[in-house]
Amino acid sequence: MKDALESNNGKPVFAMSVTDMHKNKTGSWRYMRPIYDEKTPPCIKGCPAGERIPQYFALVKEKRYQDAWHLILEDNPLPGVCGRVCYHPCEGVCNRKDFDETIAIHNLERFVADQNVGNSFPQRFFAEKTGKKTAIIGSGPAGLSAAFQLARKGHAVTIYESLAEPGGMLQMGIPKYRLPREVLEKEINDIKSLGVEIITNTEIGKDKPWQELSDTFDSILVATGATKSRPMQIPGEDLEGVSSGLAFLREFNMQHKRDIKKKIVIIGGGNTAIDCARSAIRLGAYVTIIYRRSRHEMPAVPEEIAEAEAEGVKIIYLTNPIEFIGNGKLEKIKLVQMQLGQPDADGRRRPVPIKGSEFEIEADQVMLAIGEVPKLDFLPEGVHEKWGRVDVDAYQMSNNKGVFACGDSANGPIGTVVDAIATGKRAAIAIDSYLTNQETEFVHYGKVVGFNEINLDYFKKEKRVKQNRNNQKEVLSNFNEVHLGISESDALYEAERCFSCGICTYCDTCLIYCPDVAITKAPDGKGYIINYEFCKGCGLCVHECPRNAMTFEEELKWRIV
Amino acid sequence: MADSLIAEGLEKYFNPETTAEVKAIEGTHAASYAAKLARVKVVSAYPITPQTTIVEKLSEMCASGEMEAEFIKVESEHSAMACVIGAESTGTRSFTATSSQGLALMHEELHWATGARLPVVMANVNRALGAPWNIWADQTDSLAQRDTGWIQCYAESNQEVLDMIIQAYRLAEIVMLPVMVNMDAFFLSHTTEPVALPKQELVDQFLPEYNPKYKMDINDPHAFGGLAKPDTYMELRYNIQKSMEDAHRLIPEVADEFEKVIGRNHGGLIEEYQTKDAEYLIVTSGTITGTSRIVVDQLRAQGLKLGLLKIRFFRPFPVKEVQSVLGKIKKIAVIDRNLSFGRCGIFFSELQAALYNCECRPLLNGYVAGLGGRDVTPKTIEKIVNHLIASEKGEDLIWMELNI
Repeated sequence: MKDALESNNGKPVFAMSVTDMHKNKTGSWRYMRPIYDEKTPPCIKGCPAGERIPQYFALVKEKRYQDAWHLILEDNPLPGVCGRVCYHPCEGVCNRKDFDETIAIHNLERFVADQNVGNSFPQRFFAEKTGKKTAIIGSGPAGLSAAFQLARKGHAVTIYESLAEPGGMLQMGIPKYRLPREVLEKEINDIKSLGVEIITNTEIGKDKPWQELSDTFDSILVATGATKSRPMQIPGEDLEGVSSGLAFLREFNMQHKRDIKKKIVIIGGGNTAIDCARSAIRLGAYVTIIYRRSRHEMPAVPEEIAEAEAEGVKIIYLTNPIEFIGNGKLEKIKLVQMQLGQPDADGRRRPVPIKGSEFEIEADQVMLAIGEVPKLDFLPEGVHEKWGRVDVDAYQMSNNKGVFACGDSANGPIGTVVDAIATGKRAAIAIDSYLTNQETEFVHYGKVVGFNEINLDYFKKEKRVKQNRNNQKEVLSNFNEVHLGISESDALYEAERCFSCGICTYCDTCLIYCPDVAITKAPDGKGYIINYEFCKGCGLCVHECPRNAMTFEEELKWRIV
Repeated sequence: MADSLIAEGLEKYFNPETTAEVKAIEGTHAASYAAKLARVKVVSAYPITPQTTIVEKLSEMCASGEMEAEFIKVESEHSAMACVIGAESTGTRSFTATSSQGLALMHEELHWATGARLPVVMANVNRALGAPWNIWADQTDSLAQRDTGWIQCYAESNQEVLDMIIQAYRLAEIVMLPVMVNMDAFFLSHTTEPVALPKQELVDQFLPEYNPKYKMDINDPHAFGGLAKPDTYMELRYNIQKSMEDAHRLIPEVADEFEKVIGRNHGGLIEEYQTKDAEYLIVTSGTITGTSRIVVDQLRAQGLKLGLLKIRFFRPFPVKEVQSVLGKIKKIAVIDRNLSFGRCGIFFSELQAALYNCECRPLLNGYVAGLGGRDVTPKTIEKIVNHLIASEKGEDLIWMELNI
């Protein structure tokens, strides 16, 4: 008996093409066009420095930790620092938060940096010299970030630092239990390896005149930060025992001065206040923080506030000092209770004193931490300022041509390490185009992938990793690092959890689903090629893509083009 | 005498040479074990009473690894059939099962399986269609799929269910047409009987690995399911009819081959019982057959020359077999547990049509009984026989035991 699938003429007995399908150019049926189109994940846009988070996660997943480190460095030369002290706005916008828990991006950044403590910069960072010279005033995160980016372009960079050690606020402000100094030192040394010169103990305007800089360098970048504590402007501020919180941190961190009093009151609710409090409690003091608004408005990082409270710091909210009392030496503080009124310009509700609610508490020492402002008296006449900061344009340049500013000394996003790194990078891009007479090109983010654009069928709910930490009792007796990072297995697990919103992971889902076999892998395996001769625009690839790395557009738009 | 007869019968049924195990199981599980023995690689089904236990057992066996098959969960019978169609298109032996409304929902896909020449095998539990809801035995569900091009057979016992599913794959994969093996709801599906599970190596010997000449293969891409214009469609239909005719010829051959290897033969398209000298004949299908055998024995003991014809295959319809048996009979009663509204019992009308071109036309009565699972007892059948003997003219539709 002959095969039932074959008819007398030798053809199949059902509807099946006998040649291959290439004759049938189904692409002509298409009225919608799928486009292999990577998009911006919210974390990248959420990171002021623009670290390419899902991309370095992909390298982590392959255990290519050195490559991952190099990729982070492109945008931020201080991942070891940021992996410890950054307030990680990237995590706040992570799409995963609407599914189970946000990805521990912060911990992964630290993990990558910690894997590379023995490694140095890749060869590609060492550029050919351009012969252009830039002076940077201040070696804080803004100055270091700018110096790194400029040096990578081949420009000569000299940083002037007024203090004895480089690092700015990272060196003088941030306590060692949050940032061990060998981490900072390693990353500064890496930047120096590119030829960046850091001249310490040199304050511009005092040890070296501005004129000398403007004569010697092709451009100057002001990155002095905000180092001057704001005064309270209330009676008794000149009493012995009333001092600036930042001064305490600087003297303790850099000169190891430990002579503090027993009953310490800290005024303010920012990170400086918390750093002062947690440092003082480690030195054996009883610490109370006075903050004029409620916890909700407190600008310090919430985790830091919680840690401070866990370590025994007492926080009194909705209270403000109105007088420091003492006979030459501080003895008491007169406080008044506050209530929240109408929201002010920044959206936070303005605190208003409650009449007749005054009370007094005893104190041996007060640290003021109500904010810091830049010290810009070294600038030449005519440089415009705005609210006490250098007034810069969209290219970080002041009205004085060739003079740029970034970080807390310039207007723009301020207050955090990563903002300083971001504006330092921006300034470097602008300075580079200024020095080379080219159009400035900043990164412009396209469409950001939203949670509802993730195909959740491809993901299962999973717990976020927890960072290891030192014993709570032990950390209070010394300045050892509190957090210890995550293990390799946790890092791999966490990187795997990432949705990789809008960033292709080469998962082949589009290729598998294509009913026309019109999608092929790119020759290098990184990406896909759609054969529009055969793609009939069914949209399965777009619909199935777990991470929205495909876009569906009307064909008409493309035909007209 | 009777004991030795039973022993002999058992020996034939449960031949220890060919049997791995005799299990007391219900009809649905007989279907499940048959699918396993047939080394089915893909199972996709949607549960519906009284088919559910078929799928339940299969899903357990797939989950435990007892059966090396993919179990594809679906949201409807339509999708279940679509899944097995997809699987079969790649040359993968697949199985599904359904009943009643589920089968009705599959209707469109049933045509497709035939036209695409996919040897799907499906167990259908014959259950009444709603409205009103009724979950009991009635053959109208599968008979309503008459023109879908599926080969249909009707089992009388759990053993026959198992044996026919294995044979169905053999047959389907030769003629490249789908096969539906039917069993009566509850009378078979949920009644426990001893069933001999043949040795796996013997089933493998009987049912070779499936490897069709044409199949979907990513390494050899072709377009499937395209348009056939008026210049080709009719020829493709002709081929299906030819394959049905091949099936007609092959069904007894496959049954003989099965007997050679496994040692059991339930018959070809029909089974005759006590027909040799019969003057009267009952024609049945499904479980009514078993009851009728007892009535035939009893009435024969009283001297009545009564015989029984069991229709095993409805498609292809055993026209020439029926002609050769019925031609010699005086009066015939066809018992239908089904009904085509506006006509009569469906087996009856098929039979009547088959005899039209016959030289000798016996008296033919059509009895409709047991719809929606109502019992058809030996008493019912006796009444039918008595009515038949008294009949002087054939009647197409006689309602049995109607409470009106």
